[in-house]
Amino acid sequence: MSEANIELIAPSQMRRNWLMLWRQMPLSFRIGSLILVVHLLVAVTGPFWAPYGYSQMGAGPPLSGMSLAHPFGVDQLGRDVFSRVVRGSWIVISLSLAGTLLGMLIGAIVGLLSGYVGGWIDEIVQRVLEALISIPFLVLALIAIAAAGPEYSGNPVLLVLVVALVYAPRIARMARTAAIDIATRDYVTVARLRGEKAWSVMCWELLPNATGVLLVEFALRAGYAPVLIGSLGFLGFGLRPPTPEWGLMISENRALLIVCPSTVLGPGLALASLVVGLNLFTEGLARVLGRTVKLGTQ
Amino acid sequence: MTMLALEVSGLSVSYRQGLGWRQVVEDVSFSVRCGEVLGLVGESGCGKSTVALQLLGFRHGGLRTDTGTIMLDGIDVLTLDRVGLDRVRGAKVSFVPQNPTTALSPGMRIGEQVDEILVAHDLPTGDRARELFGLVGLPDDAAFLRRYPHQLSGGQQQRVCIAMALACEPSFVVLDEPTTGLDVTTQEQIVDLLVDLRARLDMSMLYVTHDLGLLSQIADRIGVMYAGHMVELAPTAQLFSEPRHPYTRGLIAALPRLDEDRRTIKPLRGLLQRDSLPKGCPFAPRCDFALTRCFDEAQVLRHAGHGHQAACWRLAEMPPAAAPAAEELPAEPDHCATPPLLTVASLIVRYGHGVRAFTALGSVSLTIGKGETVALVGESGSGKSTLARAIAGMVAPTAGHIHLTEAELSPLVKARSPSQRRLIQYIFQNPDASLNPRATIGRSLSRQLDFFFPDRSANAMEQITAALAEVRLDAAYASSYPDQLSGGERQRVAIARALIAQPELLLCDEVLSALDVSVQASILQLLQRLKSELGIAMLFISHDLAVVRMLADRVYVLFRGEVMEFGPREAVFSPPFHPYTQSLLEAVPVPLKKRKPARQRTVTSVDIGTGCVYAGRCAAEIPAICGATPPPWRETQDGLAIRCHHTLEDLLKRESGLSRGGLEKS
Ligand SMILES: Nc1ncnc2c1ncn2[C@@H]1O[C@H](COP(=O)(O)OP(=O)(O)OP(=O)(O)O)[C@@H](O)[C@H]1O
Ligand code: SF4
Ligand code: SF4
Ligand SMILES: [Mg+2]
Repeated sequence: MSEANIELIAPSQMRRNWLMLWRQMPLSFRIGSLILVVHLLVAVTGPFWAPYGYSQMGAGPPLSGMSLAHPFGVDQLGRDVFSRVVRGSWIVISLSLAGTLLGMLIGAIVGLLSGYVGGWIDEIVQRVLEALISIPFLVLALIAIAAAGPEYSGNPVLLVLVVALVYAPRIARMARTAAIDIATRDYVTVARLRGEKAWSVMCWELLPNATGVLLVEFALRAGYAPVLIGSLGFLGFGLRPPTPEWGLMISENRALLIVCPSTVLGPGLALASLVVGLNLFTEGLARVLGRTVKLGTQ
Repeated sequence: MTMLALEVSGLSVSYRQGLGWRQVVEDVSFSVRCGEVLGLVGESGCGKSTVALQLLGFRHGGLRTDTGTIMLDGIDVLTLDRVGLDRVRGAKVSFVPQNPTTALSPGMRIGEQVDEILVAHDLPTGDRARELFGLVGLPDDAAFLRRYPHQLSGGQQQRVCIAMALACEPSFVVLDEPTTGLDVTTQEQIVDLLVDLRARLDMSMLYVTHDLGLLSQIADRIGVMYAGHMVELAPTAQLFSEPRHPYTRGLIAALPRLDEDRRTIKPLRGLLQRDSLPKGCPFAPRCDFALTRCFDEAQVLRHAGHGHQAACWRLAEMPPAAAPAAEELPAEPDHCATPPLLTVASLIVRYGHGVRAFTALGSVSLTIGKGETVALVGESGSGKSTLARAIAGMVAPTAGHIHLTEAELSPLVKARSPSQRRLIQYIFQNPDASLNPRATIGRSLSRQLDFFFPDRSANAMEQITAALAEVRLDAAYASSYPDQLSGGERQRVAIARALIAQPELLLCDEVLSALDVSVQASILQLLQRLKSELGIAMLFISHDLAVVRMLADRVYVLFRGEVMEFGPREAVFSPPFHPYTQSLLEAVPVPLKKRKPARQRTVTSVDIGTGCVYAGRCAAEIPAICGATPPPWRETQDGLAIRCHHTLEDLLKRESGLSRGGLEKS
C-alpha cells in the first residue's frame, strides 16, 4: 500500500520529494497557490489580528487617506477599511466556495447522468441548460433574487443558491461532454452489461474518471464567484451593510473615489488578487492534470 | 560490395523520464543496401519506432541522441540543422506512418495535400499528383483528387500517404507499421503495392512492424530488436529457418502459423521488464540458456553464418532450433450430442433509419454448443462485432431470435434476468479501455461479485484471488491500478473479470489484436486452457486465421453481414473453400511461402439483396447468375456448408491451384 511506503521513507527524503514536486509544477500554479495561501491565511486568522472591528466607527478621522495605521484609509463612517477588508475575506471566500460547490454538485450529477443516459431525457436537459446559459449570468442572478422576494434579500443562503444556479448549467454542460466521452469506454459497457443502474455507473465509473475535468472546472468557476458576489453586492442585491463584503464596500465608497481612492482600491485590490490567484492556480492545475493524464496513457 | 543506401552506426537514443533520461535505443548499428528492404521487428516499446524516426532526424525536447551517426547519401542526418533536414526529408528520405487518418490533414483535399509537398520542395505540381495516384493504384480522375480524407477507406488513405511519401522520388522510404490498422485483405493489397513499387522504382526501405509473418513477405533482411538492442540481423529466409538468438527463436515458436496444424504454441517466458534490465544481455531474465555471465557481459552482434549476426555469446553451444514439439492434443469433446447453449436464428440488425439505414447483419443463424469454441472470421465491417453485441444485448436486432439454452433472450440487456446477464460475458479488443483506470483491479473484480452473487460477497477476497490465479496473476495485483499493468496483464484481468461471474459463454471480440506476438501467444494459451479445463463456450471473433485455426472447434465466415461458409474447423481450412474464404486464406502471410500477387479485384457496384453479396469481388463469379439470384447452401457429410452457385465439385477443382502454392508447406 502507498501509505506503508511513505512511512518507510525518511522524513528528510520526503521533504526533498515534495520540494522536487513543487519545482516541477508550472510557474502559474506556484504563483497562484502562493496567492491563494495568503488569502486563506488572512481569511482564517484575520479576525484575530485585524486592528479594528468591521463595524467599529471612529477608528480614525473619516476619509483620511492612506497611512501606516490605516493602510487602506478610513471610510465616511470612520471605519478602518483595511480591517474591514481583512474581516470580509472569509465571507467572500466561503460564500464563493459554498456556491461553487453546490453548483458543482448539481451540475456534475445532472450533466453526467444526462450524458450517460442520452436519448430524449438528454435532449430535454440540454435544451434547458442552453436556455439557462444563454441568459447573461448577472441577469439570471437578478431574476432569481427578484423571484425569491424581498424578505430574503441580503440572506447569505440565497446568495449561495444564486451562485449555484448560475454555475450549475455551465458545469453540467462540461460534465455532459465528459460523460459522453467516458461512456464510450469499454469498462462502462461492462457495467451496463452487468445491469448497473445509471446512478451507480455515474458514481463508480463516470465520476472518478471525470475528476480531472471537474476539478479544473471547479477552480475556474470558483475564480469568478467572488466577482459575481461582488457585482451583486455592488448593485445592492447582495449582502446587507454593514457586512464587510468587498463588492458592497466598493459600492458604498464609490462616491468617494476622488476624495479618498484607497477606500475603493483596498477591497478592489483584494478582490482582484483573489481572482488572479485562483485563475493562475486553475491554469496551472489544468496543465498539471493534462500532463499526468498524458503520461498515464503512454 | 554494393552501394549502401543507409548506414546507421552506434545509435543510442534517450527519452526524458521524470528528472532523468532513460536510454531506449542502445548502440544500434545496421545498414541497408540500395534497393533493399530491411525489416525491423520487435515487441511494443522495444524502440523500433524511435530508430525509424531518427532516420528522418526527428527531434524534440524530450528526446536526446546520445551517440551514433546515420549516413544517408553521404550526409549524417543527425548533424543537420532544421533547414538541412527540411531539404532532406521528403526528397531523400520519406515516411509512411501507421495511422493514415491522423497523418492526413482532415480539412484539405487529398490532391492539394500532395501538391503542398511538391511546392515545399520547389517542384512543379502540374499533373504530378494524378501521376502519383495512378502509381499507387488510386483513381486519378480530377473528382477523386478533390476528395477529403474522410471520404476514403483506410486502405485508400494509406495509399495517399504512400503517394505523398513518393512525391519527391526519395531514394529511401521509412514505413512504421503501415498496415497495422488495416484488415487482412487491405493489408495484402498494400504489401503488394509496396513490393511492386520497389521493383519499379528501385527504392530502399526500412519496414518497421511487430508482425514477423508479414515481414517474410516483403523484407530481404530482418533486424530483430529487443529492449533497445539489435539482437539479430539475418536474411529473411535464414531467420525463419535458422533463428540463432534465443529471443528470435522464441518469437518464431510463438507465431501462430496457418501452414501448420499445430494446436499449441510456446509463448516466451516472462515479460519485458524495462526497469530492471541486467547490465549484460537484456534478454537474460527470460532466456532459457542464460548463465551468470549473460547478466554481466554486454552482448554485441557477432558472426553467426553468412550475412547473419546475433548478439549472444553462447551461439556456438546452442543446438539448432528444433521445431517446438507438437504436444499431445487434448481430446476434443463432442459438442453435437448436447443441446446447443446458444442459438441465433435469422438475426437481422440494421443501423439507422429510413433511406440511410444500413444492414449490418442480414439474416444470420448460428449455434454454439456447450463448451464449444466457435470462431467468427471476416474482414473489418463484415458485422462480426455487431453479432456479438446483439448476443450481449448491446444492440437490439431488427428481427430474429436469440435463445440461451431454452429461454429466449430479450433484445436489450436491461430486460434480461441477472442470471442471463451473468452467463454471457464480453471481453473487448482494447485492454486499455476495458478497465476503469480509477479503480483497483480488486475493485473491478469485486463489483462483478457484488452484482452477480450479492449473498456471497463475504469471501470476496478469496474469489478474487482465485480468479486472478485462473489467469496466472498473483493476488498482489488486486491492489494495483490498470496503468501499472502491461497490455497483456490488463487483458488477463479483463478475462478474470469475466470468469469471476462464472459464465457459460465468453464473447471474445478481437481480444488478441491489440497485443504483441509474444503476449498474444500467452493469452491464446490461457484461452485454450480455459476451454479445456473449465469447459466454457466461446464466440471467438478474429481476423487472424492462424489463431482461429488453433483455437476454434467450428468456424463461421462472414461477409457483409451474411454467413458465407460454416463448418468444423478442419473442414473450413481444407478444400473445398468458399471463394471468399479462399481469398482470406490467400491473404494471410505465411512465412517463407512464395507470395503471389493478390487477385485483381474489380469492385463493381452491386445491388445488395438480389444475388450473392460477394458478387462483384468474387474471382469465381458466374456473370449473369451470381449478381441476380441468391446462391444455395451446399453441404458435405462432415458438416461443412458453403453458400455459392458453384457446386462443391467445381469449387474443389478451383482449389487445387491454391493448395499447391498455398497452404501446403513449401
Ligand atoms: N515521447 C516519449 N517520451 C518518453 N518515452 C517515450 C516517448 N516515446 C516513446 N517512449 C518510450 O520509448 C520506448 C520505445 O518506444 P518506441 O515507440 O520506439 O517503441 P516501438 O518498438 O515502436 O513500439 P510499438 O510496437 O508499440 O510501436 C518505449 O519504452 C516508450 O515508452
Ligand atoms: S547472452 Fe545469454 S541470456 Fe543473452 S540470449 Fe545469449 S544465452 Fe540468453
Ligand atoms: S455465388 Fe457467385 S459471387 Fe457468390 S461466392 Fe459463389 S461464385 Fe462468387
Ligand atoms: Mg511503434
